[in-house]
Amino acid sequence: MGNKADSIIYFFNETMRSMWRNGVMTVASVTTAVVSVLILGIFLLLFANSHNIARYLEDSVQITVYMQDDARDDQINIIGSEIAALPGVVKVDTVDKEKAMERFKERLGSNAGILSALDDNPLPYSFDVHVDGPERVTEIIPKIQGMSYVESARYGKDVVEKLFQFTRVLRYGGIAIIILMGMGTLFIIINTIRLTVYARRREIEIMRYVGATDSFIRWPFLLEGIFIGVFGAVISALALTILYSSVIDKIRLALAFIPVLPTWPLMIWIWVALIFVGGIIGVAGSYISLSRFLRV
Amino acid sequence: MLRMKNVYKSYNGDGYALENINLHISPGEFVFLVGASGAGKSTFIKLIFREISADSGEIFVNGVAKSISDLSAKEVPSLRRLLGIVFQDYRLLPDRTVFENVAFAMRVTEAPKDIISHRVRHVLDLVGLSHKSDSFPNELSGGEQQRVAIARAVVNDPKLIIADEPTGNLDPETAWDIMEIFRQINEHGATVIMATHDENIVNNLNKRVITIENGHIVRDRNRGFYGE
Ligand SMILES: Nc1ncnc2c1ncn2[C@@H]1O[C@H](COP(=O)(O)OP(=O)(O)OP(=O)(O)O)[C@@H](O)[C@H]1O
Ligand SMILES: [Mg+2]
Repeated sequence: MGNKADSIIYFFNETMRSMWRNGVMTVASVTTAVVSVLILGIFLLLFANSHNIARYLEDSVQITVYMQDDARDDQINIIGSEIAALPGVVKVDTVDKEKAMERFKERLGSNAGILSALDDNPLPYSFDVHVDGPERVTEIIPKIQGMSYVESARYGKDVVEKLFQFTRVLRYGGIAIIILMGMGTLFIIINTIRLTVYARRREIEIMRYVGATDSFIRWPFLLEGIFIGVFGAVISALALTILYSSVIDKIRLALAFIPVLPTWPLMIWIWVALIFVGGIIGVAGSYISLSRFLRV
Repeated sequence: MLRMKNVYKSYNGDGYALENINLHISPGEFVFLVGASGAGKSTFIKLIFREISADSGEIFVNGVAKSISDLSAKEVPSLRRLLGIVFQDYRLLPDRTVFENVAFAMRVTEAPKDIISHRVRHVLDLVGLSHKSDSFPNELSGGEQQRVAIARAVVNDPKLIIADEPTGNLDPETAWDIMEIFRQINEHGATVIMATHDENIVNNLNKRVITIENGHIVRDRNRGFYGE
């Protein structure tokens, strides 16, 4: 207790007083922080989801193996286990003719009625072969094609490779954009706090005349920076949480095949990251705008 | 208390604002610094509290081991805590009460709260402003504002008070009130160095007078008068 505690209380009061007195400036700074952190948060969410989609796509690299129509069930079973034994194959799902028909109906949806015209099931027996990476596909496909009773082994090569390229771009581009956004936010906060510092330059000058050290002068501003950053981050995290959960509800309804991340626990990380970034940017912003000012 | 040795100061390289200044001021002295406008009085004052640095030469203040010009930026705050500085334009914080304006100078030294409030009340009493403690600067007259500034300058009990034309903005009668306060502070043991234009004050106080002309000390009289 004693002097240090007095000083801390004093700094805190000074911060509150300054933020209250420079009300318009404070609102402007917080708004800036909210907007920048919000944009940052949106990119974080896009990044997390694209990363998730990329992983999902990698996990779901699969080769579809169509069997010849005249193959018997026992022959098909043997081929199935031969495929499963190939190196690089993770899992083999059997899709018999009934299952293929079900899937087809599902895909047709409300138009499934047209299938009732068929009295025979024309769909072939097939296997969905999951492999442990996209690079494996090219070595596994010829082996499967060489097996008997196999009509064809296919792999949506172009599409998947394009997707991989796309997710790579998303990943690296995402990181770059997040860094750029962080720097942009910092820049805006530096400028906003500089206005606050400028508005109080006379006070700072007088503090220096009476022998205040730079760190004594700096503290209330640093606290102010943290306040602005963290408060802005909380508001934008709140807005993002509400926004995100309603958007993914819509995506789940309309675009069910896109694997979106659920709101929780993802949002916990977003909250932590944004508050952290907000605080850091606030402190750094104050520090930088002040150090230019304190330099004699 | 203050010693200057071969001090030179120029602003833009074109001639000296102060040239080869040598002097010694003992503890407890009251010194007037006089001279025409532009002679170098403010420059002299500013050198003492390191608002500006000398080009060459040495400046020693009691209690500071190094020459003022050799202090690093980090050491300047401790120099200023040894000094009380009073300006012509008061330099008070408009959004703080009289009490807060004075307390401010003690807070930066991280003094305990109860000592601050005790001491601030004491110095406000000294300058006769106890009853205005909760007023804001714009509710005070010029003379009262200057008294607040003096209270702020002495609250940390400095041994050296420097003042740059503290009565410059005041009518003669108020100026005398202010001078009376400085005289009392000096009588309590503080050294006072005051730059002024006020002939009347200088001639009536009968103190040491240092006259500067064009950056040179041209006269230094122990019981001096303005202009002779
Ligand atoms: N910041 C500055 N930059 C350049 N020149 C300056 C600066 N400050 C003062 N000077 C010059 O230095 C000289 C001395 O100025 P100084 O302010 O010390 O005079 P003074 O004696 O205080 O005058 P006054 O009585 O008008 O206050 C003057 O020629 C002035 O023009
Ligand atoms: Mg001057």
